[in-house]
Amino acid sequence: MAPGPDPNSVGDGAKRDEATTKVPSKEPKKKDDKKEEDLSEEDLQLKQNLELYVERAKDPNPELQKAALESMRQEIRASTSSMTSVPKPLKFLRPHYGTLKEFHKNMGESDLKKLLADILSVLALTMSAEGQRESLGYRLTGSEGDIGSWGHEYVRNLAGEIAEEYTVRQGEEASIEDLMDLVQQIVAFHMKHNAETEAVDLLMDVEDLDLLLEHVDRTNFRRTCNYLTSAAKYLPGPDDMLVLDIAYMIYIKFEEYPNALQIALFLDNMQYVKQVFTSCTDLLRKKQFCYMISRHGITFELDPEMVENDVDREMLQDIVNNTKLSEGYLTLARDIEVMEAKTPEDIYKAHLLDGRASSGPSADSARQNLAATFVNAFVNAGFGQDKLMTVPSDSTSGSAGNWLFKNKEHGKTSAAASLGMILLWDVDAGLTHLDKYFHSNDNPIIAGALLGVGIVNCGIKNDCDPALALLGEYIDKEDSSVRIGAIMGLGIAYAGSQNDQIRSSLSPVLNDAKAPLDVIAFAALSLGMIYVGSCNEEVAQSIIFALMDRSEAELGEALTRFLPLGLGLLYLGKQESVEATAEVSKTFNEKIRKYCDMTLLSCAYAGTGNVLKVQDLLAQCGEHLEKGDIHQGPAVLGLAMVAMSEELGLDMAIRSLERVLQYGEQNVRRAVPLALGLLCISNPKVTVMDTLSRLSHDTDSEVAMSAIVSLGLIGAGTNNARIAGMLRNLSSYYYKDASLLFCVRIAQGLVHMGKGLLTLSPFHSERLLLSPTALAGIVTLLHACLDMKSIILGKYHYVLYFLVLAMQPRMMLTVDENLKPISVPVRVGQAVDVVGQAGRPKTITGFQTHSTPVLLAAGERAELATDKYIPLSPILEGFIILKENPDYREE
Amino acid sequence: EPLTYDISRRPSNSVEEEPKRNKNKLVSLPSLQAIKQEASQFKMLTVSVKWQKKVFEGIEIDVSLPPYVFKAQLYDLTGVPPERQKIMVKGGLLKDDADWSSIGVKDGQKLMMMGTADEVVKAPEKAIVFAEDLPEEEQATNLGYSAGLVNLGNTCYMNSTVQCLKSVPELKSALSNYSLAGRSNDVDQTSHMLTVATRELFGDLDRSVNAVSPTQFWMVLRKKFPQFSQLQNGMHMQQDAEECWTQLLYTLSQSLKAPTSSEDSDAVKALFGVNLRSRVHCQESGEESSETESVYSLKCHISHEVNHLHEGLKHGLKGELEKTSPALGRTAVYLKESLIDSLPRYLTVQFVRFFWKRETNQKAKILRKVDYPLELDIYDLCSEELRKKLEAPRQKLRDEEGKKLGLQTKSSSKDGDVKMTDAEAPSNESGESSTAAQQEGASSSEKGTHMTGIYDLVSVLTHKGRSADSGHYVAWVKQESGKWIQYDDSYPSVQREEDITKLSGGGDWHMAYIIMYKARFVSM
Repeated sequence: MAPGPDPNSVGDGAKRDEATTKVPSKEPKKKDDKKEEDLSEEDLQLKQNLELYVERAKDPNPELQKAALESMRQEIRASTSSMTSVPKPLKFLRPHYGTLKEFHKNMGESDLKKLLADILSVLALTMSAEGQRESLGYRLTGSEGDIGSWGHEYVRNLAGEIAEEYTVRQGEEASIEDLMDLVQQIVAFHMKHNAETEAVDLLMDVEDLDLLLEHVDRTNFRRTCNYLTSAAKYLPGPDDMLVLDIAYMIYIKFEEYPNALQIALFLDNMQYVKQVFTSCTDLLRKKQFCYMISRHGITFELDPEMVENDVDREMLQDIVNNTKLSEGYLTLARDIEVMEAKTPEDIYKAHLLDGRASSGPSADSARQNLAATFVNAFVNAGFGQDKLMTVPSDSTSGSAGNWLFKNKEHGKTSAAASLGMILLWDVDAGLTHLDKYFHSNDNPIIAGALLGVGIVNCGIKNDCDPALALLGEYIDKEDSSVRIGAIMGLGIAYAGSQNDQIRSSLSPVLNDAKAPLDVIAFAALSLGMIYVGSCNEEVAQSIIFALMDRSEAELGEALTRFLPLGLGLLYLGKQESVEATAEVSKTFNEKIRKYCDMTLLSCAYAGTGNVLKVQDLLAQCGEHLEKGDIHQGPAVLGLAMVAMSEELGLDMAIRSLERVLQYGEQNVRRAVPLALGLLCISNPKVTVMDTLSRLSHDTDSEVAMSAIVSLGLIGAGTNNARIAGMLRNLSSYYYKDASLLFCVRIAQGLVHMGKGLLTLSPFHSERLLLSPTALAGIVTLLHACLDMKSIILGKYHYVLYFLVLAMQPRMMLTVDENLKPISVPVRVGQAVDVVGQAGRPKTITGFQTHSTPVLLAAGERAELATDKYIPLSPILEGFIILKENPDYREE
Repeated sequence: EPLTYDISRRPSNSVEEEPKRNKNKLVSLPSLQAIKQEASQFKMLTVSVKWQKKVFEGIEIDVSLPPYVFKAQLYDLTGVPPERQKIMVKGGLLKDDADWSSIGVKDGQKLMMMGTADEVVKAPEKAIVFAEDLPEEEQATNLGYSAGLVNLGNTCYMNSTVQCLKSVPELKSALSNYSLAGRSNDVDQTSHMLTVATRELFGDLDRSVNAVSPTQFWMVLRKKFPQFSQLQNGMHMQQDAEECWTQLLYTLSQSLKAPTSSEDSDAVKALFGVNLRSRVHCQESGEESSETESVYSLKCHISHEVNHLHEGLKHGLKGELEKTSPALGRTAVYLKESLIDSLPRYLTVQFVRFFWKRETNQKAKILRKVDYPLELDIYDLCSEELRKKLEAPRQKLRDEEGKKLGLQTKSSSKDGDVKMTDAEAPSNESGESSTAAQQEGASSSEKGTHMTGIYDLVSVLTHKGRSADSGHYVAWVKQESGKWIQYDDSYPSVQREEDITKLSGGGDWHMAYIIMYKARFVSM
């Protein structure tokens, strides 16, 4: 990690001043006498000269005075160019600082006074007492000459003093005009001299980043923006938005549209996104933008202003709608040669344990078959083929039907829905496969078919809106399992779409007095997903009313937690916008009040890294409560949600959670593994892996269950051999405990998710962007895991499918100008943080060269290993369009 | 005017391969011809329909006719019956009787259709029975091994003993025959209670899925043997499993010896008893006497020369003792050499790992590694008579094994040998069988099966730790299915057979303390 960009560089500057001023203040007294003898002849000469100049400067004769000051300035300038210690002239002039100051005070207004002020300003660099800002003071009364002529160190010091002065003046509400002139000069100087970071720091201190726009040029805008975007993570709101705004403008100015788009998406500012499209004229580049938007998982409608030509627009909209995702994913799968379907047994690898596989239990266990259903679904996700559900059913035995019926009651829902997972993103084939279940007379199967339609459409938009058309009419059916299937399906298919039609059909369910609690809970959740991060007041109202209408007994139910969660999702990442609703939630029944409060807080600040909120949540975790209070679970999860945004905060959160684990109450301990799972999702850090492995043998079975599921989460889609081994051993350890074994199986399925081609990480584009729908999916699952026994181990196991919202291929697929896959060599290695580094540092380390398509693991970055093509996006993730390099010559 | 439209007369320009369908199915529809005629007079919409991966371009819709007609058109193209068609228009599904104008389908619009002619899934006729629905006993058998025992505070010595003994089905059946009525007068109340408690505990273990708490059994055991109630720091002390084993077996043998129980006088002795014939010889005086005794277990003495169970057993059967020699009139050293005279069904071997160490005032442990085989042959520990008896069955066993390994060809050349032993065998048998039956009781009373002197390992009781009164006892029991289960108190877990022989000591891992072999029989 590079030195963290420090927004408090004022403090840093102050420290430096302290160091330089303190040392000399002691030295002169002790060493002055000796020094005379120690000095070399040359130095002695210099010293005498300077003393002479000082003497002359006080001379009444202005000519003589001027000559003396000029020579003094000459001496100083000649020496300040490089600075490892206090330069000699400054050192020798130090004893005279006082006298010169005194003299300056008594001088009449003249050019000479200004000249002296300049010199004093430089001398103050080492002499000025802390907080006096004398250097700045003299600079302002000085001749305002070229600031750089005094050297870099002087400018830095001045910048520090300006920042201090600025704060003081802000307090006094005094004018800052004179300061800003100086800032202009300093910024210009810094930007010319590879010190963009310092320029940005200064401008942030004086709150005038707009100035930056004037000073960036082609050579330094990248470094500047890079620093701005990284610094934004550590700034309190709304400064962070401001900083990103500037970065956006700079990128637009230099036509670096992909980066601009990234920031626009980060800001969730559709106006900016639109501007990117309107500013850019190149159709091919626009295609690339569409790929970037589709990866982010938001619903975005192109209009004629953005793309004029109808045909082009339709094609671009297709990309935004993710219709090509399935194709690209299968291209990757074929290239890596993992098309062959895998069975749950291939994943369990029981033969590696002992002779158990040969003589398994004779009767089918519904629980274990259900686990196998999920494992099969996760492992073969998106491949369109498996060995349980899609095998052609022959009329006599009908093996497809067979496996379905090897699941019991509500298990059939998950089994039927697993088809949706297997055919993920391939809407046409998915609907074809699911069709037969629509005509079943078994309600759980219909429910599964409905859910399956939702899953298969996850992240894919279609003009015909098949999911809405198919599911819409089932919302108000009699059977609640069918209703839940339809409602959850809609939530998954339309997550983030803010579809009004669905709202108008789901909202009445919430406030229907006759509707059972589970239907209401899933309706609230689906609305939360569909309106994720929208702050939609009407939806919020509906959920709030639904919460208020719940009886005391209902508030104690496990599923009730989905109501506050649905509410929280509306404000996902929207920080202060949640406040009004949070205020309302204080009037809720006390059984749910705190839970709601924690959920709202954690959702609103999810992915912001807000340190104050982390502290709030930590304080909540530390309390020792009476039994029955459940709000600490979401507080622990919230900790992870808030802190997960950047590496530093993430590491600190992991450490804090270790403490919580040691000192926290049992209900806190149960949530800790889940929080760890969220922090390192699809990123198996060894330390976290070890912690979870330890917790997976915890005496409290719920801690163990969370730990096991979290092992699956951190290894999700990685095929990590170590986790796979751990889980295999756990499967033998918990052989007799059906519940724990179920969790182990689920975790095994997750680790081999998509045969290792998928990731659950909601972060993408070099960890800058956080996909709100993906996070919503994961958070929902984690909240469900807080009461594993009643939800996942009960009859609502299908909440596991919410993970589909976060499932994305962890690939880099290069396509040519016609969007056909082409293979080019790329280097894949560990990403290096290059923020604030001068020159053109290497961005990856320990790389290997592959040809595309390639898989990218967590923390890895790719770069093209050929000059033949130019990628249209600097962020080599997902679909990348390559343009032939016109300057390329075959060697 | 509605006609009956025979779909088999479908126009021949249909796309793709012919979809599977019931050709004789008749659909009541307006005639296509009629539709087309009418269509020319009204406004027509041309749409494309996407179905599965295919797109049907340029399908004309007559907006004056209900959508059902449109579905009939699609039936022609796709073979999906109209009632199975789901056509997605903006905001919902196309209803059969909807009004085209209100749906807002535009010319050139793309529609999407879902639907297949596939068979609708049906539940299998024979409902699947899930393990979860079975009664608890069946769930237990379903697992293939029985439950563990809860540790009641340093009771692992007892738990592991019970688990090892429980693996003897004959003991279980003997216990189940035991009843209050059968209680003989010479059995005291506590022994009776312990026997009943054992029976109940064995029953509970077989029925339960989850770990059983042996509270009742433990109480009775302590009542019968107060030494197990020893306290240390307010806790019950760890005890020597061997003592528990011996005492429990002794009690059971006493109470199961009930005279009323029909055929065998002493079921326990019949199962576990080893008759030893010893020759006691004094070198000084040249005196020699012979004595017989019956023991429940063989001891494997561990000295520096002993590396293998067999050596230990030999060592254990030889001993020196000091006793008064009537010839010399003083104490003299006698050499005692024992040989096995009759074989038990279950051969128990105790590794003499503990000895009283005076310095530390505790039973110290010998950690030496002593290998034991999965298959034990004790032929050379047997007395001459017994050996003779064993020869024929052993030959038979060898032949059978040979056959199994495909050595049939060789067996013919060995015919001579076989005959020789065969010739001997009958005489032996006729002479001995009657006495043997009495002696060995149940063991060979079943006609036709004979002991071979070869034993298979069935359970191992291990100790981990440095002294008998501390550490941890665990039972490793072979199930009828052939699987090895480690019973670590309440946690049974499956183990590999090759790991069982690794419990032979030489480190701080679990090491065998008491092992039990089951006799291999051969039917003749």
